[in-house]
Amino acid sequence: MRVPFEWLKDFLPLTVSPEAAAQKLTMAGLEVEALERTGEDVIFEVNVTPNRADCLSMVGIARELSAAYGLRLTLPEHDVVAETGELDFNVDILDTALCRRYAGRIVKNLTIGPSPDWMRNRLDKCGIRSINNVVDVTNYVLLELGHPLHAFDLDAIRGHRIRVGTPGMIRGAGAQVTFTTLDGVQRAVPGDALLIWDAEEPIALAGIMGGSATEVNGTTRDIFIESASFDPVSVRKAARTLGVKTESSYRFERGTDIRMLKKALDRAAFLMKKVADGMIYGKIDLYPKKYAPAGIRVRYEKVERVLGLRIPGEEISRSLGALGFTVEERGDAMTVTPPAYRTDVTRDADIMEELARSYGYDRIPAVLPEAVLGEEDRESFRKSTMERIGSALKESFLKSGFTEVINYSFMGVRDLEILGIAADDPRTRAVRIQNPLKVEDSLMRTALLPSLLRNVVHNVAHGTREFRLFETAKVFLDGHPACGGSPGNGRGGELLPDERKRLAAVSFREKTRALYPEDTPDFFVLKGVFEAVLDDLKITDCTFVRSHEPFLHPGQSADILLGGAKVGYIGALSPVVIERLAIKSQKPSLVVIEFDTEALLPFASRDVRYKPLPKYPPIERDTALMVDADLETAAVMSRLREYPSDLIEDTILFDVYQGRNIPEGKKSIAFTIRYRAADRTLRDEEIDSLHSSLVEYIREKTGGEVRS
Amino acid sequence: MLEDLKETFLHELKAARSLADTNQLRVKYLGKKGLVTAQLKALSSIAPEERPAYGKEINDLKVFIEQDLEARDSRLKEEELRSRLLAESIDVTLPGKAVSHGREHPLSRTLSDIVDIFVRMGFSVEEGPEVELDYYNFEALNFPLEHPARDMQDTFFVSSEVVLRTHTSPVQVRGMEKRKPPVRFIAPGKVYRCDADITHTPMFHQVEGLMVDRDISFSHLKGVLEAFLHRMFGPDTPVRFRPSFFPFTEPSAEIDIGCILCSGEGCRVCKGSGWLEVLGAGMVHPAVFEHVGYDPEEYSGFAFGMGIERIAMLKYAIDDIRLFYENDTRFLKQF
Ligand SMILES: [Zn+2]
Repeated sequence: MRVPFEWLKDFLPLTVSPEAAAQKLTMAGLEVEALERTGEDVIFEVNVTPNRADCLSMVGIARELSAAYGLRLTLPEHDVVAETGELDFNVDILDTALCRRYAGRIVKNLTIGPSPDWMRNRLDKCGIRSINNVVDVTNYVLLELGHPLHAFDLDAIRGHRIRVGTPGMIRGAGAQVTFTTLDGVQRAVPGDALLIWDAEEPIALAGIMGGSATEVNGTTRDIFIESASFDPVSVRKAARTLGVKTESSYRFERGTDIRMLKKALDRAAFLMKKVADGMIYGKIDLYPKKYAPAGIRVRYEKVERVLGLRIPGEEISRSLGALGFTVEERGDAMTVTPPAYRTDVTRDADIMEELARSYGYDRIPAVLPEAVLGEEDRESFRKSTMERIGSALKESFLKSGFTEVINYSFMGVRDLEILGIAADDPRTRAVRIQNPLKVEDSLMRTALLPSLLRNVVHNVAHGTREFRLFETAKVFLDGHPACGGSPGNGRGGELLPDERKRLAAVSFREKTRALYPEDTPDFFVLKGVFEAVLDDLKITDCTFVRSHEPFLHPGQSADILLGGAKVGYIGALSPVVIERLAIKSQKPSLVVIEFDTEALLPFASRDVRYKPLPKYPPIERDTALMVDADLETAAVMSRLREYPSDLIEDTILFDVYQGRNIPEGKKSIAFTIRYRAADRTLRDEEIDSLHSSLVEYIREKTGGEVRS
Repeated sequence: MLEDLKETFLHELKAARSLADTNQLRVKYLGKKGLVTAQLKALSSIAPEERPAYGKEINDLKVFIEQDLEARDSRLKEEELRSRLLAESIDVTLPGKAVSHGREHPLSRTLSDIVDIFVRMGFSVEEGPEVELDYYNFEALNFPLEHPARDMQDTFFVSSEVVLRTHTSPVQVRGMEKRKPPVRFIAPGKVYRCDADITHTPMFHQVEGLMVDRDISFSHLKGVLEAFLHRMFGPDTPVRFRPSFFPFTEPSAEIDIGCILCSGEGCRVCKGSGWLEVLGAGMVHPAVFEHVGYDPEEYSGFAFGMGIERIAMLKYAIDDIRLFYENDTRFLKQF
């Protein structure tokens, strides 16, 4: 809110500089975000928090300064002498919960014209456009006292009658009401929105905006000024449904001062007489249930306990008194009654904030609490294991040259289409955002890959030829059938999607010239990084099988299985997808991996059992086996590892070869077997015979031949 | 005679250029059929009284030849090694093979700096869902339905009951629902608001913190947050607490540090005020305690929250928040 410093001086004998006053307001909780100098004046840009509706006016801000500086506040002149008391006007409030007070005055014989310079000037400083002297007065009073008013053209009100009610109350349930507001927009009014009606039709959206039919214009002579108290929730709901936000609705939503209402009405009538030569008539004031403030009991001991300091009783009374509260001391407690404009103060915590605020946050000592240790429970053990997995993963990828990225958790339908993900794939079960900023960002990610591919496109477009990226983040799977929502999500957990932590990485490289050539295929580089993680976490039960992911190269991709269940995939991105992404690059190598990091948890082991170092020397034997080229090496190696002998310490693959000297359709697999006994030195003859039976075994199992 | 032999040997030794040459000499003079050995064998033909003296002379010569050969050998070995190593020279001015470690995202770095400080102060780390119930995101935090305080946070809706969490504060409620006081934890994570411009992204990161026990006061809030800010920004950083409003705390505070860019003189970043807002905090509102079944007459506590992007931007002098989410390697590699 814009507050001209000069205007505040109408109500307070301020002698301090604008900067000092701004600092005072900031430290009282009314943050002055900026000071703007215009000619003689300084305008404060005050950030009024939603709880301080009482400060949405010049008088409200002046009231805070009067408490802070101990200065006397003078309210603007509003005593009016009515020319006549007669008022043949009839007002009905149909629901006193939605409208707790309705007051009005008639002013006649107005001369509509421009407002005087002093008024236009002040409105202008506050960012309000001058319209004519009558409308300007209502706006001026709104800024000055914080109470919204509305002026109707009296002649346009039919039947000398005002009714306050919803379409449902006036026209019956289900009634369809359309109404043209003074901005010329015809609006369909919700059945529960509060309207002001004359004898026939609606004439205003209560507390939000008037209608064009009763608008004050150049030909208006007589007006009806409305000053009422509308229910904040009802105004907010109607304004939100209709998509209208006005100075008036903004204040009603936050709560208005039911007592200030009459002062505002009289002040407006007074000013209309002054600037537009109006004749003031008597008023109507329907106020069925008088506002009766409730006292709040506050125990001194609690004040001390919560604020961490003891404020003397007389200082409490003085500072609350300066803020308009009345204090009654009763032994170890006090009863505090807030002023009508402080609708935000309802319980003892609110009183404590007032005390802390006026005492000064800077005067409260800073003390470190004494240590209290929580108990280490099962949950925190699980968490620390998960943290360890998280940091092992991150470290491993960082060390291997992968740079961390953080993407928005969003994706679009198009992202799934690019990947060719089928309609029955669980990754299509995405949480949909009702009000996304962009259609490409309308779903919560069910996979991290789409975001990383966007990163690839971006970086290639900016000329980067070689990079490795990874991201760890959650994916969101809606209506997960396995769990029907996430367990442990508290109440209503079944409404929430399953959130799973995943890691995805991409390795991008163009065939470029390099000083030291890297000849390891990127697939195996990435697989090596992943295997290093498995090794760190002591996970052994991991296997790789050919993948059928639609977006991967069918010959260069694998699903990652843990304990037989798929937890992710690794592979070269399919050339079809690269084309769809329109990556501008010659023959790029683009390898990706994505896996569920939480799925690693049950397989990770923290237990390390020390194995004694061997006392006797090993014997190694090398063998090369020629097998069918399409036989997977992992199958051969696992067959080897199956061979039952306590003397085999390790089986090491050291060469896989196809080409010269090997027949078409065959490949050579060379491995070393290391033999060792725990209790003696092995003899060569013994190992010769063991090794030849092992070779015979593997030859038979694989249908291979031994190469010599 | 022996003198001649010695002369010849010395002459030949001079000519020896390799270990093979010295070996040949060794055979020629000291071998079974060597010249010196031959002299020893011929000793019997010498008069007995001259034998000891002559024998000694031969032996001296033998030792002399052995030592010289050995000395020559070791020099030759050294030379050979030197020349072999020289042949193996490489151009040491060539660059090393790039071992490019990846870089941690600047937000992750900032986040872990913050988490570390609180963990050392005895806070544990909690997590909560990012797609959250309206109940936890708003209602239990004392944001009633149709309350203007909800306007403070532009919300992404999934349904009437489900939202993308707009802050990490719902973890406070979930954390308290799960256990009885004392509680002391922080909750870092992603949050979402329906807003995008040079200072706002639709997703950003926060760290929430909560401490509840008997007798936890506003003084403790000041103590803990001052200690945090001094560790994060340096022990001499000025810290200012001023009143503010959050529906779930009362009293509420916003915390500023003296502008680290202009040292409080006033600059563009601090909008001339000399102060930078970095934290929101307050004493847990009794209504929140009532939602989780804590008795506000028995327990009190404080909560705080901060935006990680804001702190990372200040720390690394980044002027556009969107850079964090573009993931341009030219940006990321700078950290
Ligand atoms: Zn500055």
